[in-house]
Amino acid sequence: MNLFIDKLSKWSRSQRNRNLIYQIIFLVFIGFFVNYLIAKASLLELTLNHFNSRAGFGISHTFLIDYSSNNDRWSAYFTGVINTIRVCLVAIVLATLIGTLMGVARLSKNILFSTIAFLYVEILRNTPLLIQIIFWQIIFLKLPRISEALTLGSTVVISNRGILLPSARAAESNSSNIFLYIILLAIILAFGISYYLNKKEDINGMKLKLFNIGLNGNLTGTLIFFIISVFTYYILQKPYIIDLPSLYQNSKGTFLQSGGFEFSPEFGAILFSLVIYTGTFITEIVRGSIQSLPKGQTEAALSLGLSNYQTMTNIILPQALRSIIPPLTNQFLNLTKNSSLAVVIAYPELFMVSRTIMNNSGRALPVFFLILFTYLSLSLFISVFMNLINRRVTRIGT
Amino acid sequence: MLDQKLKWIFNTFSGSVFNTVISTFCIVLLFFLINNLLGFISNSEWAVVTENRRLLLIGRMPQEEEWRAWSILWISSFLIFSSLKSFVSPSKKELAFISLIVMILCLIFTTESSIFKVSITLLISAFSYFLTKYISNTPIIHKFNKFLIILWIFLVPLIFCLLLIADGPKPTLWGGFLLNIILASVAIGIGFPLGLLFALGRASSLPAIKIACTVYIETIRGAPLVAWLLLAWFVLPKFLPEFWGLNDISVVVRAMIILSAFTSAYTAEVIRGGLQSIPKGQIEAADSLNLNVITKTSIIILPQAIRVVIPALISTFIGVFKDTSLVFILALTDLLQVGRIIPEQDPEFFGKALEALCVVAFMFWIVSIALSNLSSRVEKSMGIGTR
Repeated sequence: MNLFIDKLSKWSRSQRNRNLIYQIIFLVFIGFFVNYLIAKASLLELTLNHFNSRAGFGISHTFLIDYSSNNDRWSAYFTGVINTIRVCLVAIVLATLIGTLMGVARLSKNILFSTIAFLYVEILRNTPLLIQIIFWQIIFLKLPRISEALTLGSTVVISNRGILLPSARAAESNSSNIFLYIILLAIILAFGISYYLNKKEDINGMKLKLFNIGLNGNLTGTLIFFIISVFTYYILQKPYIIDLPSLYQNSKGTFLQSGGFEFSPEFGAILFSLVIYTGTFITEIVRGSIQSLPKGQTEAALSLGLSNYQTMTNIILPQALRSIIPPLTNQFLNLTKNSSLAVVIAYPELFMVSRTIMNNSGRALPVFFLILFTYLSLSLFISVFMNLINRRVTRIGT
Repeated sequence: MLDQKLKWIFNTFSGSVFNTVISTFCIVLLFFLINNLLGFISNSEWAVVTENRRLLLIGRMPQEEEWRAWSILWISSFLIFSSLKSFVSPSKKELAFISLIVMILCLIFTTESSIFKVSITLLISAFSYFLTKYISNTPIIHKFNKFLIILWIFLVPLIFCLLLIADGPKPTLWGGFLLNIILASVAIGIGFPLGLLFALGRASSLPAIKIACTVYIETIRGAPLVAWLLLAWFVLPKFLPEFWGLNDISVVVRAMIILSAFTSAYTAEVIRGGLQSIPKGQIEAADSLNLNVITKTSIIILPQAIRVVIPALISTFIGVFKDTSLVFILALTDLLQVGRIIPEQDPEFFGKALEALCVVAFMFWIVSIALSNLSSRVEKSMGIGTR
């Protein structure tokens, strides 16, 4: 016995062995805790079988999926996911634009411009997003009623039921899909040609010439894209027609609206608030990154005779981009998670649809895991995409 | 002289075509905004706010329990204004700004019945500020500062004592701005120490602890706060043990648990950044002095790590404070909910939603802007990035 204790004390004197003991003790505690959680969870229903049954509730915004309340809960859930992705994609692009603009504005020598950017950040960053969402909803609902709707010619109809914009609609022929594929091909072709021409110019130091005209890469690509799309549009006998919104009264005197792309008050409110709220954070990120660059960069660019605009777009922003992208990714993730607040104005995105399913089925835990899983995959997708961009950006010039 | 000024004005506002366009656009935008704002303020009726002050500030707490809220207000105003002089020492401009905000708050929230108590609050604030100013050159100030710090640490338990002693109102009756303050301070008070532990765990060299902490942090950060609050609404009671009646805890406590867990995960990520910024030489030096793990962490690593991330920590705390408005999911009536419900349910105030919302936003904005100014001041005084 003595010998055993002796051996044990000798064994436990080494740091490695002691670490092992700590970890085993820790794991035992965690094991008890997890065991307790599993025991409690096993009392609840944990399967997602009920997702195959009828949903039984309507969704006001459907996009790409044709949903009605008779469909199963899975299609309700996917409608919610698509609504989330739709609002997040648009919001991410717009927030980046407004953030970059305001970030540059905060450092502008024009006092008016920098003051506006300063007020924008200080006021809107420090009020909760929820308040901003409700604010925009109130603003949208204060638009005139549909009987007194504002119309711009017959192209835009503005009322408190939403804003109708002109859009394109597939005509009654089968060629509309072919047209889409050709457009896609034209885009790829245009990018390929402009990339090739730019590369040639970089290597040769002069533009590639066709009939003695120097070809500008970007211009040629754009021209090719336009020529191809216009030609196919007429060859396929107008596969898409412009769909103008219209406003009319039915026999009972009720106003109805039809056609066009509907920009609903809920979508507008969540989009505006997400863009403006996230834009303030992006503004600060952009400002911080620009300020962290050595001052000599600006001075060198100006002394080469570049204009302020050229200095910003060709010298400063490309360098600042390296330190912008990692925190920017973080903001995009926050934006995606914040889009769940749309539940307060009943925009049917992922969270609101899942909450309705939770309430109807009474099985909260599995639905919660589904929410967690969906947001984690969205976050993962954004992170991987941004990491790819980051790798490309950091590689340039090194 | 005048010539130079004209030249300066010309250069800043219209040096080039681009600049002129921007200036014109800005002037039009500013004019539009100011015009709309002034029009809104003068045209709207503020009865929706002035007649519901009590609801906005303390929710449905009964009238005879009001003294609890007042004493909390007095203690915190003493603390805030003495610390303001002692730790921040604001410039004249900042002082003017602070007095302006206090004046606006008094204008919004003073009633005839409460005018006496409001003036006591103002007196306490002014008295504590000038007392601190008076003793700031005497040796007592060091003891006073220590006292202030201890009071700050014990502020949250003190608030709870004041709310609960002598048969306090049920937590479900807490509401309004008071609820936001309570939730935020509990979330920060519990979440920060927990976050410290999780950050250390994630930076630990022991794989079991590291993996467990990483899983915790990433899971909490994976889903939005509203989803976690919904989970607390539906299933949290089923996961709590049955003894002591823990499984039917009130909704307020559930919100506190979730907010603290959430804060701890986000704080842990911020502190991890600080831990990574410590030069390796510091740790090697501590090791070569043969300090044990606890001493090494508490006197070498943590002071340096936290020092670097104080601004980021404060902005996380601002985020937590703003996020307390999400407890509407749990059907709690916090400030924002009160501001939304009154114009919807009281026929007297139909259509006054924007006015109520503006005052609510102003209340949230004051606290956040105060904290964010504090953060930028700390950043400047520590000279992060310049040293």
